[in-house]
Amino acid sequence: MSASVDQSAQGSPALQLHRQLAAIWGTGPGLQRLAAVNHSIIGRRFMATAFVFFAIGGVLGMLTRVQLATPTADFMTPGTYNQVFTLHGSVMLFLFAIPLVEGMGVYLTPKILGARDLAFPRLTAFGYWCYLFGGSILTGALLFGVAPDGGWFMYTPLSSNVYTPGVNADVWLLGVTFVEISALAFAVEIIVSILKIRAPGMSLDRMPIFGWYMLITALMMVAAFPPLILGSILLEVERAFHLPFFDPTRGGDALLWQHLFWLFGHPDVYIIFLPMAGALSTIIPVLAGGPLVGYRAIVVAIIALAFVSFGIWVHHMFTVGIPHLALAFFSASSAIVAVPTAVQVFAWLATLAHGRPRWNVPMLYVFGFFFIFALGGLTGVMLAMVPFDWQAHNTYFVVAHMHYVVAGALAFPMLAALYYWLPLLTGRMAIHQLSVPAFWLVFVGFNLTFFLMHLTGLRGMPRRIYTYTGEEGWNWLNLLSSVGGFIMTIGFALVVIDLLAQLRYGRRVRRDPWKAETLEWAMPIPPAPYNFASIPHVEIGPDRPAPDGLAPSLARGEGYLGFARNGWQETLGVHMTSGAPEQLIVLSRSTYLPLYTALAIAVAVLAMLFHFYLPALAAALVVAGLFVLAGQSAGLSRDYGPLPVGQGVSVPPHTELAGSPPWWALVFTLIADGTLFASLLFGTLYLWISAPNWPPPQTFTPDLGLAFATVVALLVAAAAARGSQRSISAGGTARGWIGLAALGLVVAIAVVVGLIGDIVPRPTEHALGATAAALLAYVAFHAGIGLLFLLSNLLRLRGGFLSSRRSMDPHLTRLWLDYTVVTGVIALGLVSALPALVRSLGT
Amino acid sequence: MTARTCPLPPGYLWWLAAGFLVWCSALVSVYAVHAIGCTFAWSAGPLRLGLTLVLFAHLAVIGWMWHRLGGADQIRDFGQTGAFFHMAAVWATIAAFATTVFTLGATTLLNVCM
Repeated sequence: MSASVDQSAQGSPALQLHRQLAAIWGTGPGLQRLAAVNHSIIGRRFMATAFVFFAIGGVLGMLTRVQLATPTADFMTPGTYNQVFTLHGSVMLFLFAIPLVEGMGVYLTPKILGARDLAFPRLTAFGYWCYLFGGSILTGALLFGVAPDGGWFMYTPLSSNVYTPGVNADVWLLGVTFVEISALAFAVEIIVSILKIRAPGMSLDRMPIFGWYMLITALMMVAAFPPLILGSILLEVERAFHLPFFDPTRGGDALLWQHLFWLFGHPDVYIIFLPMAGALSTIIPVLAGGPLVGYRAIVVAIIALAFVSFGIWVHHMFTVGIPHLALAFFSASSAIVAVPTAVQVFAWLATLAHGRPRWNVPMLYVFGFFFIFALGGLTGVMLAMVPFDWQAHNTYFVVAHMHYVVAGALAFPMLAALYYWLPLLTGRMAIHQLSVPAFWLVFVGFNLTFFLMHLTGLRGMPRRIYTYTGEEGWNWLNLLSSVGGFIMTIGFALVVIDLLAQLRYGRRVRRDPWKAETLEWAMPIPPAPYNFASIPHVEIGPDRPAPDGLAPSLARGEGYLGFARNGWQETLGVHMTSGAPEQLIVLSRSTYLPLYTALAIAVAVLAMLFHFYLPALAAALVVAGLFVLAGQSAGLSRDYGPLPVGQGVSVPPHTELAGSPPWWALVFTLIADGTLFASLLFGTLYLWISAPNWPPPQTFTPDLGLAFATVVALLVAAAAARGSQRSISAGGTARGWIGLAALGLVVAIAVVVGLIGDIVPRPTEHALGATAAALLAYVAFHAGIGLLFLLSNLLRLRGGFLSSRRSMDPHLTRLWLDYTVVTGVIALGLVSALPALVRSLGT
Repeated sequence: MTARTCPLPPGYLWWLAAGFLVWCSALVSVYAVHAIGCTFAWSAGPLRLGLTLVLFAHLAVIGWMWHRLGGADQIRDFGQTGAFFHMAAVWATIAAFATTVFTLGATTLLNVCM
């Protein structure tokens, strides 16, 4: 049956519709703002917070330049300098660059794709709070003099508790991992939203190029962040509980940390670059006045770039003693990654060459980007060549290259994008009298600061030193770099003044001031919380919907969902490739749950930081409880069947369809989880092959009977989950099946805990025991999460959220338990095989 | 040829990544065989043979995919979207083939455990 459509509001159709939708989608005043889940609000918060951290990171960078401006300076002590430069890098990468990308994606993606919001508004808000609290812990530590001080990549053994006995390294490990929850939440959110929530008719080949960039970036994040999360967990476990994953005296290996870190670290450069390239690919055609040249070539290039960027992590480790043949693989990969990047650059140049470019502020920053990125790319190819890298490694040449590719490739497109989309955010244009000199100050200051660092590096100045004697020939280079740094900072300050002035004095604009052709301009600016009063149908593309003509009819409700119904926040789900309307997605409304959940995690993190492990465990249980509680208000509590969505189309709500967003969210979450598991397997085998002090003096005898019993218990749980799914689909209560599945999981956990207890050497004595314990703990943890799935199923059955039509929950539980079985078999198989592998090493 | 009315199945999206997934497998396999061979002091001849076999097996798989995609007219039948995916998948596979040859070709030439 269909629900009623409200018709009570007064006024013109557009105003009437606006009032109705604003009442549903709006966020309350005062403290209720803390409950906001709307993507526009969260996106703006992400970006504003990222800019605050950018200012903090910038000040820290300036402090390092003050210290290095002259020889033998005592502006800072060595200990303070270590904290300042470590936090500068960590803040810029983890608290500015990545979150800015996330904020941009959260704010723009639904608007450009013609949707009202992202797929999981509560997850968006949760990600933001995790970012804010994690970032605050990381930067707040500086005030107490306990900020991380081991370099932004936290190399072991320097970051181990032998050489960093205080909490400095713990702050980094726990704080950054907390922030990374936000990154993974964003990645899953964006992938599902792009694949399933677009304007009807927007097939993937008609999707604006920005959507492709964000999709590929989010997929990269799903695979790139888990290795670092694993590394951070293992290092924190080593520091807190003495399991020696990275300690070479007990069978660990410091190089394992480098592998795990750079498996994240190198793709991260492209994770930062690709969204900015997406912005450039959107802006350049508009300012050039013609379509983007090479749409298909760009799509292929970014797919290639995404993969190849993972295969070059070892080029950060060329000097650690890797065999020459392996160096050749990674050197060749590092060189070839320039090709897909060049495809994009030439496509942009061709777009400019075919059009009639408008010289304005965004275009100034685009040209600044070309200059900076070309230089950074060229020094990147130089460093990809092993003989040159051996000379330049660990010098300021690398610092210069890194700032050209990361800072330059981020900062200039970021400012181009900021000036381009500013009218969308504020409804006003920037004041060009200020923005043009600001550009030149940033551009000149940037090049003066960082170009000279190439020369300082080639003259042998190592990274991370806090002072120098003055006899090395670096004096004038360092002084000019510092002067350049201040010029750049003045430029950024002018940008801030320009933005603030613009809020007050900027020229008001109506929609589409650039004559762009993407959908974010087909709405009133600044946008309403629901984005589109009705959702457009896209018939041509990509990037060609002519928003200026489209906007009035959308405001009158002449597209899809041009009405209010049941107080629901509605948007449309589409077929993944064709964009045909498929499902009505009813989104969650404002709630404090994301804030409370992130607060509970913050309590757990702080408790772990101070080694209060029982309170930390209690906080973790609260987090688990809050996640189960969140499930109790998700979805619809009755069957509706197909509902009209406008244009003569009726589709079922997402709760009654198999391929709905939660299903795909779990699929991509498990891909991220699988990457973490693969990294754990890699770590185990890497230590077996490469670590010193193997084999250990004694080895456990695998208890194949108990391992088999664990697998059987997991299989029983997975089979019972299938029974539960069938029972609910047939209209049953499935309580027996759920109980059986829970019993299987409890047995599996109990047996695995027993297996951990029997490991010899003990997990604290040798890396063999530590890795075996980690593999088994992984199985137990997933079985534990499986219990939470089952508990949620029971509660939602009781609450009336499940029926024969609304049977997504048991599908999700089955998928989770299937994954647990597969990884459990692999983990238990490897643990059982470890003693034989150790014996193969001889003595 | 008339375009089909049904939409392109989402499973075809995998073809965009398939070539490079095989490249990933080739990189990991070659790196692993190389590390294990050098750790256990395999003699150079068998180790190089093993590495070369792994490389060529992966090249054969990508080559087969390229060949299959080239003749996969049914994808193009799904209208404009099908044609887009077909072209993108073919070029992504060709790029994966070239990347595999360029990045891992050294296994057939250089000293193995130096």
